[in-house]
Amino acid sequence: MRKYWQGIWRARYFWTHLAMSDLRSRWRRSFFGALWSIIQPLGMTALLAIVFSKMFNSDITTYAPYILSGIIVWEFIAANVTGGALSFVQADAYIKQCRHPLAIYTLRTVLGSLTVLALASLALYGWSLTVMPQNFGWSWLASLSIFPVAALIAWPMSTLLAYVGVRFRDIPHAAGLVLQALWFISPVYFEVKMFRQGGMGFLVDNNPIYHLLQLIRAPLLEGKWPTWENYAYSILLALIFALIAWFVGRKAERKVIFYL
Amino acid sequence: MRNPHIRLEAVNLHYASVSFKERSVRELLANTLLRRKKRVSLQDVHALKNINLDISKGERVGLLGHNGAGKSTFLKTVAGLYPISSGCVQVDGEVRSLFDLSLGFEPDATGRENILYRGLLLGLSPEFMREKEPEIVEFAGLREFIDYPIKTYSAGMQVRLAFAISTAVGGDILLLDEVIGAGDANFMNKAKQRIVSLVEQADILILASHDFSALENLCQRGVVLHRGEIVFDGAVSKAIIEYKKVNGLS
Repeated sequence: MRKYWQGIWRARYFWTHLAMSDLRSRWRRSFFGALWSIIQPLGMTALLAIVFSKMFNSDITTYAPYILSGIIVWEFIAANVTGGALSFVQADAYIKQCRHPLAIYTLRTVLGSLTVLALASLALYGWSLTVMPQNFGWSWLASLSIFPVAALIAWPMSTLLAYVGVRFRDIPHAAGLVLQALWFISPVYFEVKMFRQGGMGFLVDNNPIYHLLQLIRAPLLEGKWPTWENYAYSILLALIFALIAWFVGRKAERKVIFYL
Repeated sequence: MRNPHIRLEAVNLHYASVSFKERSVRELLANTLLRRKKRVSLQDVHALKNINLDISKGERVGLLGHNGAGKSTFLKTVAGLYPISSGCVQVDGEVRSLFDLSLGFEPDATGRENILYRGLLLGLSPEFMREKEPEIVEFAGLREFIDYPIKTYSAGMQVRLAFAISTAVGGDILLLDEVIGAGDANFMNKAKQRIVSLVEQADILILASHDFSALENLCQRGVVLHRGEIVFDGAVSKAIIEYKKVNGLS
């Protein structure tokens, strides 16, 4: 186990390079480059906010940043589920050649999507500050905790999916479906009060996605600190994924090369 | 003082046949539920059979065998890439392997950038690679093209660069799989010299090749693999004769 972590540390230049090269190739030759990570969710938010605020009778100035926070965090989750499931398959040339711990290839996905999330959140910070300056305060510091916590959840999750995905190539497709289902029962775009009014409060209270989102929503949109439950649910989810990933990986790690 | 050493004891390696039998959940379900009879039943491939081998410091070993005899599998097992099904593999020392040279290039990045990237893949630090860069550029001999994107390179140029990078750093244990034979005649000569000097630096060399003259020049000990088994282990000149005999060549 310790050797595994040492291996990850030794290969640190390699996986940071992989993550950065993913980002570079994503933005290469485009005029706006990295700005696209900010523009895209903003444009999407503008569209959705106009439609939804009319439909649900919500105040557009506060509802729009709510949607924006939902979009960027959801993008992060989706990138890690679909990208994570394919990360070993994608890295087959490296895996067949060099003996690095396999978790570095999912770390690459996590790191890349985390950078995109950080960039996109700049727009959210800016927007919240202009529209709801009264929320600004010390609690905003807590909003930064979403990055390490999200990474802690995403890394073991995508590693687990990658172990399974390398054997069953159906996983990325199935995961897409599951994601869609999760999206509907989570307060990503829909407001929490809509769930509560419909008597579906349990979908919010027991939903780790809600608690993860609260880490950034509570400070920015409500001017409050996230509750300990928000942290407890998020960390617990990370622990569960880590345990399963470790358990599966113990057997699967060395066999992955046969399935590539 | 380090003492590089390779020891294999009763090593068996199977390629798990499930990896090519069931490619999807659908097939897995169909096979278990319907107990469907397959037209061709695939067995686990027994790629290495009861391999016992001891290689100590200073030895240069040539691996002989026809295609599919287990040469590459053997090298990859020593490199720690393949999990063995039984037995024991003990490798002391840093392993440097040259298997697939054109791996890990980023087509949009320049040759110079790719030198850095490939070094990182090998687990080296950015500082070290920057130090080595001039030497690699010089050896690859690509002139001004080193600052052009890799995708503008011809196949031969790519191989030259890959070779220059991969051989810039040696290790205690060097594993070579048919790498000699890249580039034009001029580069071939340079490449051969480079390999020789790399081999001199390394404490242990294992070379898999069909090139008898290269084997005789570089190695003293020869190991003949046939269908996953070691059929001969001794002096390289005798190994070549044995190899020919086993495969009905003489």
